[in-house]
Amino acid sequence: MSYIDVLRESKNVMTPGSSACQGCGGELVTRRVMQIAGPNSVYAVPPGCMAGAGTVGWNYKSGIHAPIHITLLDNTAAFLTGVSEMYQRKGRADVNMVAIAGDGASADCGFQSLSGAAERNSKMLYVCYDNEGYMNTGFQRSSTTSLGSRTSTTPIGSAINGKEQQQKYLPLIMAMHNLEYCATASISNMADLVKKIEKGLEASKKGFAYVHIFASCPTGWGYAPQESIDVARRAVKSNAFPLWEKTRDGFKINYDNKKPIPVSEFVKGITKYKTLTEENIASMQRNVDSVYATLKKLAAE
Amino acid sequence: MGKIKALTGNTAATVGAALSRPDLIAAYPITPQSSVAEGLSDLVHDGQLDSNLVQVESEHSAMSVVQGAAAVGGRVFTATSAQGLALMYEPYFRMSTLRFPMVMALATREMTSPETIWSGQQDAISVREAGWIQFFCDSNQEVLDMIIQGYMISEHPDVLIPVNVCYDGFYSSHLIEGVDVPSQEEVDAFLPAPTFNHAVLDPRTPMALDPMTPGNILMKYRKSHLDAMEKAIDVIDEIDKKFEKQFGRSYGGCISEYCCEDADVIIVTIAGMTGAGMDAVDLARKNGIRAGLLKVRAIRPFPAKKIAAALKGKKAFAVIDRSVSFGWSEGPVHMEIKAAIADTDEKYMHMSVIGGLGGADISVDDMYDCITYLDRCKNEPGEHETRWLMKD
Repeated sequence: MSYIDVLRESKNVMTPGSSACQGCGGELVTRRVMQIAGPNSVYAVPPGCMAGAGTVGWNYKSGIHAPIHITLLDNTAAFLTGVSEMYQRKGRADVNMVAIAGDGASADCGFQSLSGAAERNSKMLYVCYDNEGYMNTGFQRSSTTSLGSRTSTTPIGSAINGKEQQQKYLPLIMAMHNLEYCATASISNMADLVKKIEKGLEASKKGFAYVHIFASCPTGWGYAPQESIDVARRAVKSNAFPLWEKTRDGFKINYDNKKPIPVSEFVKGITKYKTLTEENIASMQRNVDSVYATLKKLAAE
Repeated sequence: MGKIKALTGNTAATVGAALSRPDLIAAYPITPQSSVAEGLSDLVHDGQLDSNLVQVESEHSAMSVVQGAAAVGGRVFTATSAQGLALMYEPYFRMSTLRFPMVMALATREMTSPETIWSGQQDAISVREAGWIQFFCDSNQEVLDMIIQGYMISEHPDVLIPVNVCYDGFYSSHLIEGVDVPSQEEVDAFLPAPTFNHAVLDPRTPMALDPMTPGNILMKYRKSHLDAMEKAIDVIDEIDKKFEKQFGRSYGGCISEYCCEDADVIIVTIAGMTGAGMDAVDLARKNGIRAGLLKVRAIRPFPAKKIAAALKGKKAFAVIDRSVSFGWSEGPVHMEIKAAIADTDEKYMHMSVIGGLGGADISVDDMYDCITYLDRCKNEPGEHETRWLMKD
């Protein structure tokens, strides 16, 4: 079935009217993941944009049409492990276990429980929507925030110009956990995203599946809401966010980027990058090229 | 009748947990609790215990995993000590405020710094405001029995509060005593399978567990939690009697008394120091001092009325704390007992005694000295200076 048919024929589990910002990448991720996983699932959503936007609520008008719990910021994968174990024990492995967490809850304080669950190969699909920071609470930096970004904890000051460190590349760290399935996806490449969520759900019946999704954020990053998909597309086309997957058969790059655009094209027009120096851009480009080269080697036949 | 076995406190906890048939166990090893995590792993790996065993990377995840299983109605178990308890504080507080029943063994240990791994009750006492029921045991038999009773108390529909079964690290966790181990059939006859279902994550009955809750509703949750704590005092007594009927052992509920009836002076003890305290009382009685001992078994709920009743008509008491209350220059249980007697007409001579921190011993002599001091000063009402059981 084509991804359009999949989405057309699946129930919209999330409310039509959430309080997410216009053009929110995270909201699109959540809506699509919930559509594909469906109502026969248990959802774990830690504090962050998606919990804040009202996915955890049950008043027939907002919230979602499925069991959902707002976990702690740092225990989503561990909490869902307990839920998953009980469903295995009760012989109800048909129920999907789905975590939808931001980058802060995944790469920062939630990393230990995420890594623990992946190492145990606990049966669940863990989706990280990466909007490069704590956007729900006012755009603070996370470890996946990219170099030079202006956030409220890495402001543009006269002494220090935005974030001083490169982003932590969480998906490859996760891939090294001997898990069942690991992939990256982007809201700009919906066919690929839908396929990966389907594969992730299938893999979650055998063990731990992780999908890391680029979720651009108009409010926090500073661009017009209608540009979210375009920003995400530029991230993919510049290799700032390459699309790949790792199955039990090995690594595969899913978007063969023959003529990548430069990182300078990706960052153009986004306010959080507006004071990037040429040196910053060159450093980002080197980092992007280096990660991509590593992925190419991992994916080589 | 069960079978008498020579068990450490940790093994008694392991056996008690296994006999309670938990659906899921997640525990992270920490001194002095480690042999509980190891013992349960042995039972599951040998096929003797049908529980889902989840190997976790921290205590924070241990409490989070069991929380997830409880959110599907599972009976769960974990165990920890000191730094492990501190690390799990976040999901620990949430376990009680989600009102999920469970039992957690706590081999109590001093909190670092200075760096220490030895006994003390600062860990458990510091989290007494986290909404759990906390029992303190002084024998390995009591550890085993309270784990089984703990599930029944915790899962009682009027309670629905998780239970800590605390016992002194090393002094109880590692020392061997004879323990009457009930058979599985006896325990099954006593403890039914869990049926709590106030919060369940199930697609068949979808609910949002913990949506953002405004203060006026949150206060109703807190009030109902406090009310359940209050009810737990009676439930603890009721289940103690029920347990006695089945197994022939009673602990007296929230408090237990030794030679208190005609006593002038009372020492109040918590957990493992009780044995030494009873010996000191015996010695004092031999020497003509009318001494008694009051063991506080439950710190939460705090049995204030029962304690006030037990102290009624006495002249003097000392509370021996194995932890401190920073800013009060005394022990926490002493503070709470002062609150318990505040509204009575009694005028006591009383004092806080602090000892046994960081694994230090509390000897029969220490207890005896407290008793003779109380006896000497019993007609000088008011609070006497905090006594530190410190030796060079």
